[in-house]
Amino acid sequence: MNRNRRSVSFPLRTGLLIGLLALFAQVRAAAPTPTPTPAPAPASAATPVPAATVAPAVPDAAPAPGAAFKTLDQEVQGVQKDVISLNKDLFVLEENLLFPANTQVAVYLSMDVGTFFALDSVTLKIDNKEVANYLYTAREVKALLKGGVQRLYLGNQKIGNHELVAFFVGKGPHGLDYRRGASITFNKGIGAKYLELKITDRVPKHQPEFVIKDWE
Amino acid sequence: MAGRAFVAGICLLCLAAAAPAPAAQALIGSVAPDFALKGVDGLNRRLSEYRGRVVLINFYARWAGDSRVEMPALDHLDATYRRAGLVVLGVSVDEDLDRAREFAIGMHVAYPVLLDGGPRIGSAYAIERMPMTVLIDRSGIVRFVKVGYERDDYRTFVAEIRALLRE
Repeated sequence: MNRNRRSVSFPLRTGLLIGLLALFAQVRAAAPTPTPTPAPAPASAATPVPAATVAPAVPDAAPAPGAAFKTLDQEVQGVQKDVISLNKDLFVLEENLLFPANTQVAVYLSMDVGTFFALDSVTLKIDNKEVANYLYTAREVKALLKGGVQRLYLGNQKIGNHELVAFFVGKGPHGLDYRRGASITFNKGIGAKYLELKITDRVPKHQPEFVIKDWE
Repeated sequence: MAGRAFVAGICLLCLAAAAPAPAAQALIGSVAPDFALKGVDGLNRRLSEYRGRVVLINFYARWAGDSRVEMPALDHLDATYRRAGLVVLGVSVDEDLDRAREFAIGMHVAYPVLLDGGPRIGSAYAIERMPMTVLIDRSGIVRFVKVGYERDDYRTFVAEIRALLRE
């Protein structure tokens, strides 16, 4: 489900990015190229310059090749910064267009400790319809255990009550296969809805605990 | 008249047979569809985690005779080029996971074999015939696709892998 949405949204973002880059390149090409001539000497009548500082500022001296490379490098870095900034803006724009706040529902997943549960996969259902199914690699589980938070689902839901069910599959205490479910009925209001699936350890019982938190 | 039509039909058939599988070949130059699958060893693997290395994905099925010939050859490639940055992944498209696991273990290959449980991932790669081998470069772009396997293909694989590893 997620993959489908990505396949719809990615070309839109890429297209916009390419268009903006082309526009940016055109503007740059149209702009007058700065000549590498050194800056004119300051008006001697207004500010008397000491002799020692005047000597190196020879007006006919060609710029050093290193300086030209440095300028080019700075320009490239500037363009890169602009591209990153544009990409960020487009990403935000895309999300606002595809998932407007009045229908947006996002589900995040976080793990705390994880001594009693080794996560393998999570299946997410909203109103009995599967909306996400994610298989975790060892590297991803490690990232979650270090405090990472994963956005498992981002989609649109109508205003009103909805039931979210999450199935967690993995290895429980003593390395046994473990499958648990957790559910919540949430009310989708006018604003965006954020839900968090939390996997924590219930130390006294030596069991994992699965909680769904509704971020108002 | 009927004879001409017959000859034309035969020619068309020959052309169709000689032409490479169009859907699979169309993948060349595009970003390889990402996937995460469970391996025979119980570990989950995601393709995007191998970004920066040359990846060879071999889609195979237990019932495809060529797969039995190709897998030992790929195992040899894996042993030779692993240190240089090659990752070989076998993807079984058999729906019967138990039998697919048995077959993979029986083939004694050292590279990871993943279980698709039907051509779910395979459909993203437009598989038409088994086996099918896809080579992905360090930046995640599909660079080579081979449908089927013949003994001479080993040399082709070596040449393609070497070229990609040198990039």
